[in-house]
Amino acid sequence: MNLAHLHLLLNHFPIIGTIVGLGLFLVSLVGKNADLRRASLIVLAVIALVAIPTFFSGVGAQGAIKNDPGVSEALIERHEGAAMLAFFFMEITGALALVELWKHYRISRPERRTWTFSAVLLFSIITTGLMARVGTTGGEVRHPEIRSGPATATTTTEGSLPSRIVYALEPSPPKFTQLMLDNKFWWAFMMDMHFIGLALLVGTIGVLDLRMLGFAKNLPVGPLHRLAPWALVGFGINLVTGVLAFIGMPTFYTYDMAFWLKMLAIMLLGLNVAAFYLTNTFETVEALGPGEDAPPLAKFIAATSLFLCFAVIAFGRYIQWFSDNVDSIAAH
Amino acid sequence: MALPLFLRTIEGTPFSTWMRESESPFGFYFILLVHTVGLALLVGANAVIDLRLLGVAREIPLPPLKRLFGIMWLGFWINVTSGILLLFAYPTKSLTNPDFYIKLTCIGFAVWIMYRMKRRVFDDASLDDAAMMAKGATLAKWSLCLWAAAITAGRLLAYTYRYVTFP
Repeated sequence: MNLAHLHLLLNHFPIIGTIVGLGLFLVSLVGKNADLRRASLIVLAVIALVAIPTFFSGVGAQGAIKNDPGVSEALIERHEGAAMLAFFFMEITGALALVELWKHYRISRPERRTWTFSAVLLFSIITTGLMARVGTTGGEVRHPEIRSGPATATTTTEGSLPSRIVYALEPSPPKFTQLMLDNKFWWAFMMDMHFIGLALLVGTIGVLDLRMLGFAKNLPVGPLHRLAPWALVGFGINLVTGVLAFIGMPTFYTYDMAFWLKMLAIMLLGLNVAAFYLTNTFETVEALGPGEDAPPLAKFIAATSLFLCFAVIAFGRYIQWFSDNVDSIAAH
Repeated sequence: MALPLFLRTIEGTPFSTWMRESESPFGFYFILLVHTVGLALLVGANAVIDLRLLGVAREIPLPPLKRLFGIMWLGFWINVTSGILLLFAYPTKSLTNPDFYIKLTCIGFAVWIMYRMKRRVFDDASLDDAAMMAKGATLAKWSLCLWAAAITAGRLLAYTYRYVTFP
């Protein structure tokens, strides 16, 4: 398997997933079904997570085909710009879905609608539209039979009006990359925020994990869980700074195995979080008062979480070491 | 200004040279990893206490959080040890950079604040949660600012050095 495989394996999920998430959300609206709405929000959040490695794997897929005759650099760049814009909107949609899920849980009056409810609806509709562009432009890279124009088509004067407007709003990938590298103190600032986000994320999650494992047992678990939004703030900071760093040095990260192992560990961490909330573990643990012991499954999830947090930090730290000492994972 | 020769002496030792030049994954980058894990333990746990003292997640009872100080001290000593090893690998790079001293000053104050927080807020059994918050809020604000400054100064070491090794 190479990075092009990975891109093809992952790239349908964000497109289909957004449609499924939005569809469920709309059905839940019509049917006034709170459980279905919760399910749709979970789908959108999961898809936002899966979209991360999908976006990152694009550069490797490009590297695998860019020397083939019949592949247009211009079409790839158009796809990349479309993907960047859709990815940003997907992540905002996922974040809004998580805020809405948190409100569901906190307010426990699902019929109440707040601004995040409308925002999820709006952003998932926009994301679905943008994802359609990503799919179309991506398909055209490799499938000349579906191209509507010549392979060099990148002008803003073609296509329908909405298509031209969106094209004008899409970032130019090479310019974006240059922007990240122009000032080394901007880069230093991003890396700084990445470490501050790390401390916030690992601190809040780590304390909850340790309590579940039996450390500081006098702490009731439910109240500790109120720190969860701060863990998400930490994750959000690290997602933004991490993605910007990737955009700044795409080939550096793309051909680095430690980077991909870090992504794998983050996805497994997401799976672990899903295991926590989607089994009855969360409900059981939330009710634990001072001195009460967590069930074995909760302890297993907590230990896995701590181990995966360590793995994410470790692989992140070895990105530079891999780049210095190990042959890159694909000749380029 | 001539650089002190002990910097070159340290860099010339086999251990210092090995850390800089070895391709082993257990050289310099391993120490860097340990330093980052120590940071997560120390600053992560301290940030939780600071946020709680500032009114985040008020349902969490404050006294049991005292146990986190053990984790913070563990992180602190891990980072003193790994920090000295990192200094051993690149003494000239660090010691000729003013930013390094800013980092140490921030850490010094942050640890002092952490010590005072433990003594004044958590060791006084007569205080209830509201009194602990009243007494600890200012310390908590300073703690968050100083740790953010320490991390920032630490990160800047990678971008502001004048020499990598002894010229």
